[in-house]
Amino acid sequence: MENDKNSQKIVDYIQNFSRKHSLFVLAYGTGCGAIEIPATMTSRYDAERFGIRGAATPRQADVLLITGYLSTKTLKRVIRVYEQMQEPKYVIGFGSCTINGGMYYDSYNTINGLDQYLPVDVYINGCMPRPESVISGFVKLQELIQDGKANNGEKYRENLEHYRTNQKKIIKNWKMPDYNW
Amino acid sequence: MVREKETTLYLGPQHPGITGNMMVKLKVQGDTVVSASTHVGYLHRAFEKLIERRNWIQAFTLLCRFCVPEPDPMELTYARAVEDLDNREVPERAKYIRVIVMELARMQSFMLWYAGQAGSAGLYMIPQWSVGDRNYILDLFEDLTGGRIYHMYIWPGGVRRDIPEGWADKTLRTMDYIEKRLDEYNKVLFDNTIFQKRAQGVGIVPKDKAIEWGVVGPVLRGTGIKSDVRIDEPYEVYDKIDFDIPTQEGGDIWARALVRKEEIRQSIRIIRQAITHMPGGAYYNKVSNPMKWTVPAGQAWARTESVRGEIGFHVTSDGGNKPYRVHVKGAAYTHGVTVLEKILPGQNIADVSFILNSLGVCPPEIER
Amino acid sequence: MTDLVKENKLLDAVSQAFKIKGKVIRNRRVEVYADKNMVSSILLFAKKQLGYIHMAHMTCVDWIDQGEFELVYTIYSPIEKITLFVKTRIDRENPEMENIDSIWDQANTYEREMREMFGIEFPGLVGEHDFILEDWDQIPPMRKEFDTHKYSAETFFSRPGREDAKEVRDELSKRSGTIVPDFAKKYSRE
Repeated sequence: MENDKNSQKIVDYIQNFSRKHSLFVLAYGTGCGAIEIPATMTSRYDAERFGIRGAATPRQADVLLITGYLSTKTLKRVIRVYEQMQEPKYVIGFGSCTINGGMYYDSYNTINGLDQYLPVDVYINGCMPRPESVISGFVKLQELIQDGKANNGEKYRENLEHYRTNQKKIIKNWKMPDYNW
Repeated sequence: MVREKETTLYLGPQHPGITGNMMVKLKVQGDTVVSASTHVGYLHRAFEKLIERRNWIQAFTLLCRFCVPEPDPMELTYARAVEDLDNREVPERAKYIRVIVMELARMQSFMLWYAGQAGSAGLYMIPQWSVGDRNYILDLFEDLTGGRIYHMYIWPGGVRRDIPEGWADKTLRTMDYIEKRLDEYNKVLFDNTIFQKRAQGVGIVPKDKAIEWGVVGPVLRGTGIKSDVRIDEPYEVYDKIDFDIPTQEGGDIWARALVRKEEIRQSIRIIRQAITHMPGGAYYNKVSNPMKWTVPAGQAWARTESVRGEIGFHVTSDGGNKPYRVHVKGAAYTHGVTVLEKILPGQNIADVSFILNSLGVCPPEIER
Repeated sequence: MTDLVKENKLLDAVSQAFKIKGKVIRNRRVEVYADKNMVSSILLFAKKQLGYIHMAHMTCVDWIDQGEFELVYTIYSPIEKITLFVKTRIDRENPEMENIDSIWDQANTYEREMREMFGIEFPGLVGEHDFILEDWDQIPPMRKEFDTHKYSAETFFSRPGREDAKEVRDELSKRSGTIVPDFAKKYSRE
C-alpha cells in the first residue's frame, strides 16, 4: 500500500473511509421489518458504534432502508424520497419480500422484487432478519464503499429511462417532478 | 392585526413521529388543528384474499403478520374460532401455555408502547431502557418457539411443541428482574414533571360517548368503564386465575398511561400463577392429516384481549379444506379513523404524535 | 348443555317484535335472519330497548354459487354479555344496502371499505372513495371472480424460478437420486 500510490488514491481512500463510518439511515418504516430497527439501534445490539444513526428528512440521509414488502401506494412515495436524497446514496433491501416477493407473491397490491424499480446495493434475507444480520448487512455495505463499488446513484441517473418505464407500468397516475440533477 | 389563514399539513408516510406507515392530513390555523382526516392503504397486502387460497393450516403463516408489534393474539383468536366450528377440545396444559404466551406478548408490546410514548414527548433515554429490556422477553420466545417476532406457535387443538426444560425457571427469573425495572421506569416517566404537564388534560375521550364511538381496551378503561374480554367472556383458563382490572377516571393521556402501568403488574401476577399451577399431560389434540383437514360448514366469531383492545375474527367455512372467508377486526380500526378524527380538532400540532401513540394506532390492523 | 335462559329470552324478544326467525347457536351467541329492509329497525330496537350498545363488527361474505352477498352485523351488550348476529342477504348483480352510520358513527368506515372491496352501494354515504386502494381500475378485488395470482403475475416482474411452485421434497429427491420414504408421503397436498 505504501509503494505505488499517487495523490488521487489517497484522497479516494480517505473519502471512502470517512463515508463508510458515518451512515445516516432515513427514519421511514415502510413495512413489517421496521419492528427490528429500534432493537438494532438500542443498547444490546448497538448499531451506533458503527456510526449508524437515524436522520429525519431525505435531504439529510445517506441510506434508504426498505424494510419489507412495498405496496404500489408506498412505491410512489419511496421513489420521490429516493430522488430527493443527494449523492452518494445507498439502498438496502431488507427481508425476503424485496428479493422475490416473499409470501405475498400472489397479492395484487405488493411488488415482487425491488431491483426493477430502484438500484439496490445489499440484500439482507430473512423473515424477519435478526439484528445481527442487519449489522452484517451494513458491514458488507461498508466493504463495498471502501472498494469504490457502491455508486448506484450514478447508475440510476444514467439509466433513468429504464427505471422510469418499469415504474410507470405500475404507477398509473404519474404526477411526479422530473429528475434532472 | 394578523389574520391567520388555514394551511394544510401532511403528517405523511415519512415522518419520525407517527406509529407506522400512515398519513394524517391536518388543516391548521396557526398552531391549532381545525380538522383531521386519516389516509391509510400504504400497507395493504390483501390478506383476506390470500387466505382464501391457502389451507386451514397454511393460513397460520399469514396470520401473524397482521399486527406487527403483537402477533400472538391473532393466532389465538383464529385457533379459537376454528375450534368452535370443529368442536375440538384443547388439553389443560395447552391452555396454561397459551395464557403464558399471551401475557408475555402483552408485556413486550407494552415496552414498545412505552418507548414510543416517551420518545414522542422528547424523553429519549426511556426507549433505550425499555427496548433493551424487551430483548429479555424475546429471548424467552426464542427458546420456546424459535423466532423472536413471528412465532406461529398456537394451532387449533393446542400448541406446537411442549415447553423445554428449564424454561419455567428462566421465565420466573426474568419476571423478578422486570418487576424491579418497572419501579425504575416509574421514577423516570411517571414522576417526571415534563410528562405530567404534557399528558394531563390532552386528548380527552368523553365517557358518555366512548362505547358508541367504538372505543375498546385501555382507552375505554381510562374513561372509567370497566370492560375487558378476559372477565366478560373468559377464555382459556382466565376464570381460574386471580387478577384485577385497573380503571381510572378522566379519559386523557395521563389516565391511559396509569392504566397501562398497572396492567403490566397484573400480567406478571398471572404468569406466576400459571407457571405454578400448570398440570402435566398432552399439549396438542392431534389433527390426523393437517394438509387435508376439512372443517364443518358454519360461521364463528371469537374475541380476545390484546394490549390495544379487543380483536375479533369472523370465520366462515363451507365444508372444504380452505377457509371461505376470514374477516379480522383490530382495535385500531375504530381508534385510528373514527376516534382520531373526532378528538384532534382543538389540539396543538405538537400533541398530534403524542395522541397517536396513546391511542395505540397500529396501521397494519386498519388495512390488513 | 347448561340452561340458556338469557339467550332464549333475547331470541323471543327480537323474533316476536319483528316476526322473523332465529337460532341460539351456543352459550353467548344468538343469530337472527332478517330482510334487508328491516335491518336498521332491528339494530335500532336492539340498541335503544335491549341495551346492545356496542357495535363489534360488520362483514360481507360472497356466496357466488347462490348469486348473493350475505351481510352480518355483530352487536354486543356489555351487561348481558351476549353477542347478537343480524344476517341478511342482498343481490349480487346490483348490490345496494341501507346506510346505518346514523345509528353508529363507526359504521362509516366499514361501509366505505365494502363499497371499495365488493362494490356495494350505500346511498347517502359520505367519505372519500379511495380508502385503501389507489388508482384501481379493475373489478372490486374481494369478489370471488377476481383472480389475484394471475393479476400479480402479469403486472409485477418476478424473479425466475418462482413461476411453478413445485413440491420441494419431490424435486430434491429427483435431483439427488434418493427415494421419498412412505411415512413422509402421508403428508402430501394431493
